[in-house]
Amino acid sequence: MSLVRREILQLSATGLAVLGFQQTAPAFWGQIADNAAGQENILVVVQMTGGNDGLNTIIPYTQDEYYKQRPKLAVPKKDVLKINDEFGFNPALDGFSELLEAGLLGVVQGVGYAQPNRSHFESMDIWHTCQRKTGDRSDGWLGRAIDQLAEGESTETTGMHIGNRKQPLAVASRHHRVPSIRSIEQFRLQTQEKDSIQAMRSLAQSENSEADSLLNFVQTSTTTAIDVSQKLQQVSKSKNSNMKYPETELAGKLKTVSQLIASDIGARVYYVEIDGFDTHAFQAPAHTALLRELGDALNSFAQDLREKGMQERVLTMCFSEFGRRVAQNASDGTDHGTAAPMFLMGSDLETGLIGKHPSLTNLDNGDLKFHTDFRQVYATVLDNWLSCDSSHILDKQYESLPLFVASR
Amino acid sequence: MMKSGQTNIDPEWAWSAYQPEQPEDWTQRQVAHFYRRCGFAANPEMLQSGLQKSPLQLASEQISNRQESPQVEKVSASLARSVLATADAKNLPAWWTHRLLNTSVPLLEKMTLFWHGHFATGAEKVKDAQLMFDQNQILREHALGNFGSLVHAISQDPAMLIYLDSASNRKVHPNENFAREIMELFVLGEGNYSEKDIRELARCFTGWEIRRDQFYFNRFQHDFDEKIIFNDTGTFTGEQGVDLVLKQPAGAEFIVGKLMQFFIADEGLQHPELIQPLASQFRDSGLETGALLETMLSSNLFYSDYAMGRKIRSPVDFAIGLLNSFEGTTNLLELNRGLDELGQRLFYPPNVKGWEGGRNWINSSTLLARANLMQSLLVRDETRFGGGSLSQYCKTHGVTSLQEAVDWFVEILLAVPLSEPKHSELVQRCEHGSGSFENNLRRGLGLIVSLPEYQLA
Repeated sequence: MSLVRREILQLSATGLAVLGFQQTAPAFWGQIADNAAGQENILVVVQMTGGNDGLNTIIPYTQDEYYKQRPKLAVPKKDVLKINDEFGFNPALDGFSELLEAGLLGVVQGVGYAQPNRSHFESMDIWHTCQRKTGDRSDGWLGRAIDQLAEGESTETTGMHIGNRKQPLAVASRHHRVPSIRSIEQFRLQTQEKDSIQAMRSLAQSENSEADSLLNFVQTSTTTAIDVSQKLQQVSKSKNSNMKYPETELAGKLKTVSQLIASDIGARVYYVEIDGFDTHAFQAPAHTALLRELGDALNSFAQDLREKGMQERVLTMCFSEFGRRVAQNASDGTDHGTAAPMFLMGSDLETGLIGKHPSLTNLDNGDLKFHTDFRQVYATVLDNWLSCDSSHILDKQYESLPLFVASR
Repeated sequence: MMKSGQTNIDPEWAWSAYQPEQPEDWTQRQVAHFYRRCGFAANPEMLQSGLQKSPLQLASEQISNRQESPQVEKVSASLARSVLATADAKNLPAWWTHRLLNTSVPLLEKMTLFWHGHFATGAEKVKDAQLMFDQNQILREHALGNFGSLVHAISQDPAMLIYLDSASNRKVHPNENFAREIMELFVLGEGNYSEKDIRELARCFTGWEIRRDQFYFNRFQHDFDEKIIFNDTGTFTGEQGVDLVLKQPAGAEFIVGKLMQFFIADEGLQHPELIQPLASQFRDSGLETGALLETMLSSNLFYSDYAMGRKIRSPVDFAIGLLNSFEGTTNLLELNRGLDELGQRLFYPPNVKGWEGGRNWINSSTLLARANLMQSLLVRDETRFGGGSLSQYCKTHGVTSLQEAVDWFVEILLAVPLSEPKHSELVQRCEHGSGSFENNLRRGLGLIVSLPEYQLA
């Protein structure tokens, strides 16, 4: 339950008698509580799967070393979309450029973690769980946040994953089954008979299976799937915006997110992925297309949120499991590296570049050195945006970063 | 999931051959378990003949059967020709599912699928249908043979080299992608090598190229200088590099652990003391997969409560398993569209790590897709059982009422027992249907495969 909602309901329970509202107040307070439920902050996480080449995203266009290390891959100075006198966006990121101008984009530079793992899968697991392999990884950082946010509520829609593939470990929670949906339209049981749905729901219910068993997992997942699909059938098509998104997969997913937020489905956390950042060969065209997809999709999403008056409630955060080597490889691509920037989009942000760009000459075995732990970004977002207790979720108090404008 | 620590399972007991004390201890339930794991489920006839064999016989027969029957091979080859003539890799899944539905050597196909997930290569990137098909043949050829030979073959397989960006690897700046994955995902497992080993191994692969869709060694691009890999020093070639990786002892544990997860249980058995004895056997045999599987698939552990019902069915097991249980056939393109929605599009694994399986198969979207796929297959007249309708098929097996049919379906299909109250609710809800006997049977079957219990194998 949200803090606001909880406070209002507590107040209604204790303070009403004093105020002499016994007769009419409950309905009145309930309504305020419901309204407050539609005004809570929402986090949208965009996973850039594969290891985004941060150096060709935020480009140090005045540094000779950049051009020396990447004779074929470096973006010519004249094409860079300048952020300041030293750095600029990849030319495919005019979406980001516009967001920056509109005061909606923050770039956290040099993000990583100590003793980086260059395996996609292991590194992604570290970002998802905030644990190394030796630790307990039964839930993810957002799964723990979802448990905290939904404490005491039976809702199955505090978090949502948009996509029908393997669910990211980040949203694995101990007490909730986070639904994965590809699109609202496709998320339904295609049976004409209402009976069959009821039968499936009833037969799926668990009797006494052990809480941790596979059977229990499938049972609770099935009842969640049926319940959420029925809930989504009520999501009104009229909440679909007139906003025209680009015809890309990521844009389609963010459009779904916007529709769900507008429909007050109650989710506080949305998770989407864009794959393909593993650019070992012929990187330039692939990476350009990916950055364009990312920048344009986010830009449309921001406009859509503004049109629907939801801009102030939504923070979007983009990350990748690692950056790439400074030097290009033999196949006109880049191999797995370390530190890279993260991107934040929202209306309460400190905009522009946050923190220093990692040095291109002071390297660790050919890799950029990180200076900001990704968990500091998580902690700042958890504490200041979702009003969660980050130390509980991350198992430690991380130093927060100046990501949000002080007035908020 | 537990990755280490102690288990109270005695390894010696675990890997000893399972010998039923009494003939009546060897039941249809166990034979069905065997075929669910070592194939794609069994029809009533296979269950009957399995009961006449010992557990060891069942396993060793499957392991020595490495030749598809001539009839199946003939149809499969002609289907392959027509698919390859279209040059569109999108048609390959229909070819393979046809084989999975008709094969006379289920374990060989199951292992081919295992290696496809292990040496995952996606047609999304490779695009060329012929190259993807050729890789599939390599996997099948070595599926139950020597693991080292398989790794050598796959390391020079054009589809793999294209997939991992090593189609042209030059000595000035080697591409690390293939070198990384052969260590991390194919042979040793994460953590059993250093970043330096990867960089040095990548140098061994310089000069490896593809020309006219064939592997080609370009000596002008090969780095002939000295390399140091795992403390060995030499001017290693790519082949020698692969051998150095294969020589590392950690590989046997890694492969045994993965096979245990695939064949025995998704969770809870990854204990070093359980893996160790089989890994030693695997190493001592020179990495012979067949011999390893013979021990694993006839063991006490395989037939124990640690294994029965302790896996989540993959989409292929889910859909092909149902059809094979009752000699079903259906529209293969529709079936494969469904498998895609369920998260297992053959020839299109999600990434180089393949399908991770276990709980990863299940989310609300794939669960609805499972129910929807069955709904769409079962309402089609094209979906036939033993060549005819479901009611005819039931009748030839002496099943004439809805109640009998539900009992029979449940007995054949479910790896874990259904509780008594649920069983009666199921019967009641099936009898509630108002359509024809055929339609009620199909609706009932649809309900059974949507049960959480059916998602387990």
